[in-house]
Amino acid sequence: MRNREIPKGLRDLLPDEMKSRRKLEKRAADLFTSYGYEEVLTPTFEFLEVVEAGGNIREKLFLFMDREGGILSLRPEMTVSIARLAATHLQAEKLPRRLFYSANIFRHVQPHLAQYREFWQTGIELLGANGPRADAEVISLAVKVMAEFGLDNFMVSLNNIGIFNSLLDISQINAEDKDRIRSLATKKDLVELTRTLDSLPMDDLLKETISLLPTLHGGLEVLNRLPCVEKDRASAAAVEELVTIYDALKDMGAEQHVLVDMGILRGLDYYTGVVFEGFSPDLGYGLLGGGRYDRLLSQFGFPCPATGFALGMDRLTLVLKSQEEEAARYLIGGENWTAMVEAADQLRSQGKIVELDVEGLQRDQLQAKITGRPEYTLIYLEGQSEEDK
Amino acid sequence: MNGKPLTIALSKGTLLKPTAELLDAAGLPSQGLISDSRAMIFDYPGETPIRYIMCRPTDVPAYVEHGAADLGIVGKDVIVEQGKDVFEMADLVYGYCRFVVAVPAQNKDIALKDLNYKRVATKFPRVAESFFRRHGLQVEVIELHGNIELAPLMGLSDVIVDLVSTGRTLKENNLVELVTIMDSTTRLIGNQVSFRTKYDIIQPLLVKIKAYLKEQ
Repeated sequence: MRNREIPKGLRDLLPDEMKSRRKLEKRAADLFTSYGYEEVLTPTFEFLEVVEAGGNIREKLFLFMDREGGILSLRPEMTVSIARLAATHLQAEKLPRRLFYSANIFRHVQPHLAQYREFWQTGIELLGANGPRADAEVISLAVKVMAEFGLDNFMVSLNNIGIFNSLLDISQINAEDKDRIRSLATKKDLVELTRTLDSLPMDDLLKETISLLPTLHGGLEVLNRLPCVEKDRASAAAVEELVTIYDALKDMGAEQHVLVDMGILRGLDYYTGVVFEGFSPDLGYGLLGGGRYDRLLSQFGFPCPATGFALGMDRLTLVLKSQEEEAARYLIGGENWTAMVEAADQLRSQGKIVELDVEGLQRDQLQAKITGRPEYTLIYLEGQSEEDK
Repeated sequence: MNGKPLTIALSKGTLLKPTAELLDAAGLPSQGLISDSRAMIFDYPGETPIRYIMCRPTDVPAYVEHGAADLGIVGKDVIVEQGKDVFEMADLVYGYCRFVVAVPAQNKDIALKDLNYKRVATKFPRVAESFFRRHGLQVEVIELHGNIELAPLMGLSDVIVDLVSTGRTLKENNLVELVTIMDSTTRLIGNQVSFRTKYDIIQPLLVKIKAYLKEQ
């Protein structure tokens, strides 16, 4: 039955999953709204030129053409689209501007558990605000939203990619070698990274620092283990900024869920400052990711600092699955349709979930239907309506 | 650490003996690993509970990528061919082998560029394909599952890409090595999230393993 198949990497979402998904989205939306964030939505597909302003990830895109000759891409993330939206519609507005979204995202990846070709993200973007307070607000919201979902053992790891970038800058190696080192560090191939560094003409202490970065993880004290950084003003400033943000997060009560991890580099090219990822010991993949991207909006002619994050809703549903509880339901049967409808509406007005028997069944038949489904309560209304008598 | 053991996926076969030595040197339990060859799971309770799972080498990256195992020990050859998203933590040096392009001895003087549009038999289609593409060559890759040396002898392919350690099998089948694509040794790999959630166990272990390797 070929007509029942769906394309690779996609899936149907059945009632149970949609229920928990919507619940999470609503909790996130309520939280973001209470911080002044407003929901937006962009088109499901954009011109390739827009998508590529975020960097070249062409092998991960679903591309097609419209009949006017434009090359279109299903959105592989929301941040770039929101940057475009801001440049198109918000240039004259007062800043900062707080936006959030819930949307489906498409990437041509090798599908497996927790990685699909169509997946759902909910996220925020704080546009037009520079500085550690803006970052702290966004990161603390990442912590708050995970706590709101009922996760307790999650952590959010922070880094400032300014540290890594400025160390590469003082190394005086050429652009191609820099790219190679960045890509090896992002891929976390420590073996090849150390080997490549060894082959390059570079200060030994600097080599050691760079090869150490991917394994530095812990409290603020890991920042003391960067011998090279003190001597270089740019990387020292980046470290300073990270410390300020960490302190601000402490003041916001987020400390127990925050760590420093110099291995967090994020795959996307547009990040310029603090970057972070959230994870739980219950899943082998990250649950959220984000950071500061101060140069992305200027790609669309709107120079404007920005920071934000996105939650992987499919992965969160995997981690949170077991916490779902069935809501109580009523099933109303009987011969007097008007009375049934009335009774149902009354219960619904009290916020209850009520189903009407639309098949005209007898009491014992209805009783059989709800056997084994403890969430159901049967109400059977005796007696016929006036006209039927 | 919430009572869950640190799970390490080990490659069955020739890598197991040196792996047991390494684990021992890093202060991890290794009793019974080699002699009891039929068991698939080895549990060592204790303050830091350790669990080993015995896998085919080609399955190790999958266990680690999905987080079913926190760490894994497997050859670089398997890692490059599978391209899985894992944290490659240390070169364990043993288990040396290399990917080579080999041709029948009568063609030993053929240049690489003359392999354009030839047929390549291999167990490693990704490695083969990316190597030839890097050199601007188009080839037809024929994926086989064993005895790759047979393919050129029977006229199924013109060239092979295979993994060799001493090169004896090539010689026995009258094949010669044309180019080395890359060297491979055994690696310690880790799950990206486990490295963070079990950092307090994994990081000291990594330090011990690196110290042991330096002594060698």
